Amino acid sequence: MRLLKFLPCLPAIPWVLVPAAGEAPDFNRDIRPILSENCFHCHGPDEDARKAELRLDSFEGATEGGEFEIPVVPGKPDESELVARIFSDDPDEIMPPPESKRSLTGRQKKLLRDWIASGAQYDAHWAWLPPRRPAVPEVKQAALAANPVDAFLLRRLEQEGMGFSEPAGPATVLRRLSLDLVGLPPTPREVEDFEAAWRTGQDAALAAAVERLLASPRFGERWARPWLDLARYADSNGFQADQLRPSWAYRDWVIDALNANMPYDRFTIEQLAGDLLPEATVAQKVATGFHRTVTCNVEAGVHPEENRVNQVVDRVNTTATVWLGVTMECAQCHDHKYDPFSMEDYYSLFAFFNNTPLEVSLPKSVNDVSHDFVGPYMDLPLPPEDTGKLAKLDRRLAAIPRLRKKLIDNPKSGYDAWEDEAAKSLANAPQWELLEVVAFTSNGGEDHRTLDDGSVLLSGNVPGTARYVVETTTELEAISAIKVEALTHPDIPGKGPGRGDSQRTNFILSEIDVVLHRGGKLVPLELFDAKADYSQKNWEVANAIDGDPKTGWAIGQEFGKPHWATFTLAEAVQPRKGDKLVVTLEQNFGRGRVIGRLRLSAISDPAGIGTLPEDIAKILGKPEGKRSRKDKNALTDHFVKNSPGIRELDLEQTRLRKERAALAPDKTLVMVELDTPRPTRVMARGNYLEPREEVAADTPALLPAFDSSLPRNRLGLARWLVSRDNPLTARVAVNRWWAEIFGTGIVATLEDFGTQAEPPTHPDLLDWLAVEFMESGWDMRHVLRTIVTSNAYRQSSKVTPRLREADPRNLLLARAPRFRVDAERLRDNALAVSGLLSTKMHGKPVMPYQPPGLWRQTGRNEPKWVEQKDENRWRRGIYIVYRRAAPYPSMVNFDAPDRAACTVHRPRTNTPLQALTLLNDPAYVEMALALADRILVEAEPADRIEHAFRLVLSRPPTGAEKRRLGVLLADRLAHFADDPQAARELLDNPAFVYKPKHKDRAALAAWLIASNVLLNLDETMTKP
Amino acid sequence: MPHIEDPSSNILFPMRSPRKHIPVPPGSISSQTRRLFLQNAGFGLGGAALAALMNQDAAAAGADPLARRGLHHAPKAKRVIYIHLVGAPSHLDLFDFKPELQKRSGQLCPDEFFQGKQLAFIREQPNLLGTPKDEKFAFRNCGKSGIEISNLLPKLQGVADDLCFIKTLHTDQFNHAPAQLFALTGFSRFGRPSIGSWVSYGLGSENRNLPGFVVLVTGQVLGAGNSAWGSGFLPTIHQGIEFRSQGDPVLYLSNPKGVSGPERRMVVDAVKDLNQLALDDVGDPEIATRISQYEMAFRMQTSVPELMDIASEPKRIHEMYGTQPGKTSFANNCLLARRMVERGVRFVQLFDQGWDMHGSVFDRLPQKTGQVDQPIAALITDLKERGLLEDTLVVWNAEFGRTPMAQGTSGNGEGRTKAGRDHHKEAYTVWMAGGGTRPGHVYGQTDDLGYGIARDPVHLHDFNATLLHLLGIDHERLTFRYQGRQFRLTDVHGEIVNGVLA
Repeated sequence: MRLLKFLPCLPAIPWVLVPAAGEAPDFNRDIRPILSENCFHCHGPDEDARKAELRLDSFEGATEGGEFEIPVVPGKPDESELVARIFSDDPDEIMPPPESKRSLTGRQKKLLRDWIASGAQYDAHWAWLPPRRPAVPEVKQAALAANPVDAFLLRRLEQEGMGFSEPAGPATVLRRLSLDLVGLPPTPREVEDFEAAWRTGQDAALAAAVERLLASPRFGERWARPWLDLARYADSNGFQADQLRPSWAYRDWVIDALNANMPYDRFTIEQLAGDLLPEATVAQKVATGFHRTVTCNVEAGVHPEENRVNQVVDRVNTTATVWLGVTMECAQCHDHKYDPFSMEDYYSLFAFFNNTPLEVSLPKSVNDVSHDFVGPYMDLPLPPEDTGKLAKLDRRLAAIPRLRKKLIDNPKSGYDAWEDEAAKSLANAPQWELLEVVAFTSNGGEDHRTLDDGSVLLSGNVPGTARYVVETTTELEAISAIKVEALTHPDIPGKGPGRGDSQRTNFILSEIDVVLHRGGKLVPLELFDAKADYSQKNWEVANAIDGDPKTGWAIGQEFGKPHWATFTLAEAVQPRKGDKLVVTLEQNFGRGRVIGRLRLSAISDPAGIGTLPEDIAKILGKPEGKRSRKDKNALTDHFVKNSPGIRELDLEQTRLRKERAALAPDKTLVMVELDTPRPTRVMARGNYLEPREEVAADTPALLPAFDSSLPRNRLGLARWLVSRDNPLTARVAVNRWWAEIFGTGIVATLEDFGTQAEPPTHPDLLDWLAVEFMESGWDMRHVLRTIVTSNAYRQSSKVTPRLREADPRNLLLARAPRFRVDAERLRDNALAVSGLLSTKMHGKPVMPYQPPGLWRQTGRNEPKWVEQKDENRWRRGIYIVYRRAAPYPSMVNFDAPDRAACTVHRPRTNTPLQALTLLNDPAYVEMALALADRILVEAEPADRIEHAFRLVLSRPPTGAEKRRLGVLLADRLAHFADDPQAARELLDNPAFVYKPKHKDRAALAAWLIASNVLLNLDETMTKP
Repeated sequence: MPHIEDPSSNILFPMRSPRKHIPVPPGSISSQTRRLFLQNAGFGLGGAALAALMNQDAAAAGADPLARRGLHHAPKAKRVIYIHLVGAPSHLDLFDFKPELQKRSGQLCPDEFFQGKQLAFIREQPNLLGTPKDEKFAFRNCGKSGIEISNLLPKLQGVADDLCFIKTLHTDQFNHAPAQLFALTGFSRFGRPSIGSWVSYGLGSENRNLPGFVVLVTGQVLGAGNSAWGSGFLPTIHQGIEFRSQGDPVLYLSNPKGVSGPERRMVVDAVKDLNQLALDDVGDPEIATRISQYEMAFRMQTSVPELMDIASEPKRIHEMYGTQPGKTSFANNCLLARRMVERGVRFVQLFDQGWDMHGSVFDRLPQKTGQVDQPIAALITDLKERGLLEDTLVVWNAEFGRTPMAQGTSGNGEGRTKAGRDHHKEAYTVWMAGGGTRPGHVYGQTDDLGYGIARDPVHLHDFNATLLHLLGIDHERLTFRYQGRQFRLTDVHGEIVNGVLA
């Protein structure tokens, strides 16, 4: 039949796991998986779920029995109830019972029988026992064992009558090594040098290349990726609004720690508890970002405590998965069904993490759709040049109130003159004069019209954010202040003045700028002394001129009413004929919090009458004799506060605050421990509203005891995790690295070392590596070096029919693995071969090209995708902004996760969407253009195909390959030479930022097509 | 060297991990073969050509007679159009009429509705809020079944006899994002596969040129984000693919600027020939898969635009749905959903945003119902006329319902808003049509004030179990092994609601 023809000779189970004929079944390998899968659900560690008082997960339980006959009589299968039950035909008798929908195969039944016959030996689960260094085995092909890794692998292969494949060539080895260690391909020059060195001595050449790559700063960038998957590192909160938040300093910490080869024990301690170390450094606190990367729900209906508990649950589960390789989360709601973890174990571990503050608080207004995010941040240190500047600013800012007070306490003369002028001006009643609108533009795509009163009414599309630019003229001879009015109108939802919400008609004026256009010249006018009829709490009108786009003026609660704000010019201006006053209103809050009807006016009023508070104007209007003592004081007080000296100080203060805002340090999320620990209680069914008995912080009973010398906090827990007798931490880590290099772990279930795990294919090798790792001082590079200098690593990856038949999953490694690289390396590789790759490290996340419109508005402070047109667009994938609701789409197509939860291993799929991405994504087409240009510039016409293959695949083409690409190139060259318009169409793409150097457009277009082919080859995206 | 015949022949089944266990009845050669395959297709090997996004299902390939009868039993529904009203519509004003609530509207709600309850926004003991008494909001007994539907949905009233209502659905979550995750993935936090992914995993696709699970969205993205159609720990080929109404319907579908169709063919041919040379040399079956995926990508570049081009539909159809080619609308998505199921897309999920009415519910609800009433009724009628309703399951669902109590009068001064309804998890109404559901039927009853359940409660896990059942899937046996245990959509819960089966 067709299926069989296509998949010849597939054995029923991974055959490496089958006992050899005549051998007694091995409990851990053969029996525990059957019992665990089929029996422990009702007869296992979970006391509440246990039926018939029978447990089969221990020798005592199985041989004593429960309510019925003795299930297991060692050596006597025919007297064992278990055997009778599993072989029974009676639906009331048979185990597992039909309603469980589980059933045993004939082979499984026989194994259980044989095991009882051989004495029913129960062995402790291997992973709970500490690893011991096993002896390195003797092998027949001793010459092939470059190091102990080879010896362990060869022994297993030799048992099957197999051996390693032939060695791969040096170019393949270097390409493999480069992709594995630094995530980038070798350059043709590096390949050449390596091939030369290889000829003089393979081991030395390899060792030198390994050291070169391990020392490269690219190493940390490549190995940060799998760690950040575990750490579920992202740049946004997740959930409803999915706002961005700063955590990138933690990402940089990981890169730097890997580049510094920080020992894994320290790496662990600093991430879990860096803040609790004595005299913790800034870097150690940044490291605790590991557990602040957890998602946070700011949706308004969420109860802050519920959000906090969910976050702690995630921290417990992630810690257990990352370091212990166990699935503690099962024990959140009930005792673990398979592994001996109780609910008490779970909440004891929970207690270590239960002492951080709430991260969201109830919103100020009951109508608000989001909570406020209040989780702790830490300021990152400023660069040294800014530190000095900042200190100076702060000193001066601190001095201003004192100077101001001095002036107020000693009013200088001038009062009388002011009062005279004010009274005169008041008599002449300086009036606010309308600024006539000659042009109104907005980036929000709204409609607008000017009403009879000179105001502008916005309608149509309600943009999230908008920048209004209003060009005006005036008849005034001098202008000393500007007034902005936000008015109501029946056409605005809820009357306005804001447009976004008919119930809450707020607007937020983030920043206002005024520029005088005179001839061709632009004169920015400095504003200070902002006043308004009303400002919402924390949204004072002064925010509109503080230079900080995140703050602004708002009118919350005073909805449905007109409002005004005035801004005084630092120096009055005298407009001339033809001058224009251009007022820019930035409203970048989001969700349509923009002004619906706007009117601008100006005043000529050097004494500041027009901006006088109403009460002061009233007093000035009274004849002097009628003013009370209180009136007089009020006048003096007002004069002093508005006197030239004070004015200068206020102006300076506004200016300095602006400067300071620009210097604000970057922030990052860190763990902070509460002074008083929270009590922790077991939560019934995992529900935080059902607390039960209190538990103390402790580690699971099954694992080595928590040393009494350790503090019972996160720091103690971290030290316990990396103690020498912890059986899991080292095994779990080396197994992940093994899988990263060989594609599959020695334990295939990287995330689970419990009794449900797949048994290790090479238990001795796993233990040897784990011990070697710990004894090297938890040196990750030592482990990687050991693996990649093995002969196993150097084998050819060719898949022969014989190998496919013998070991389809390549579990025994009789050949090197061959698989597609992950999303980040795939993109980095294409950037590198095209010559575009920027090696700039660290800093804020970058935004390269992505199709427009993917970050649709999701809530307040909507983050926007602002495509970067500089070198940032060509930086490594590790630096691309990670937004959980919408991660970088071309990487998602290559199995990048959304990082909402800890990801231990990514799937590796092969889909048409991947083909579409590499063929059509303008980002990849731009890379093809750069690659085309590079080939044309760097090589003579006759050498171009060869150069192209060397760049992209680290090898020359075969004759057939050269001919095939040649045919395509010849055809396209003729076509584009014949049709220059077609070349233009292809090359003049607004999505491209790259400017090619080569001038022959037809050649460039033809090579773009050929480069597109090369970047799509299976070999290009595959570790060879 | 592996032998690859026609690219279509190597597509067997969408299952690839060695640690997946879909038990099949033992005995037949085909079931053994499939089991062998399941156990051996290596994790991470990309399934050696066997697991394309566009897997034909085994039934279509004729390889497995069991699959023809459904994964576990004979299916009533072969495909699903699942409409999720994001934000949660006010079911009390659409489907679950409560005269008593209307009568007592304005009175303080009973203590037990408020004391000790978790409500998202209401903080003070609220008043009851009845449906307005005017004709616009009145309910009518419709069709032969006499089912009550609000006048806000006049067209849907016309197809009432095709609908099967559940009035007692209840959920565990009362905030949008967790509740959406709970409804769609069976778990209130991130990381689990969505129902469409489970179905794709269980049944594969019927079309080689289109994904098995397609998502169409109107309005903003929902709180749960892409996770609402994500594949969780299932292989990513099972995640929903969003088809967009603006720009490329599938990201990166169209050729780069300046690349013509024939030129694209040349590129794909060159890639194929060079990959074939590599395959000859290296022998890795993954390369064969890659070759066939490029062919499928090429075919998708034709089949997807053809699918999305609703302009080719006759005038009568446009009038029926209220569709306008080129626009982004819920109506267009309904018509697209019909075109997709016609072409064998297994699971089409429509999300429509804008139903979260904490204030002014009686102003805003008619606007939204005006957008969805005609197209949904048209979809049901159209499917029926084409004979597709019989084995296509249409679902109307939301993450929860809305309270019989009023919210929104808590502002101050002029900011005082008109009444709305808060999130409600205790009971809400959903309906299904076609696909083996009992037509013209109402299941379950809420209490007189529409707060709790009077009889026949249906938990979301029960609802999901029932949907899978209709598709021929036993929800307890559609499992995936991850982190050492078998996961399923319904966790360890779920009872099939027999009362809604035809």
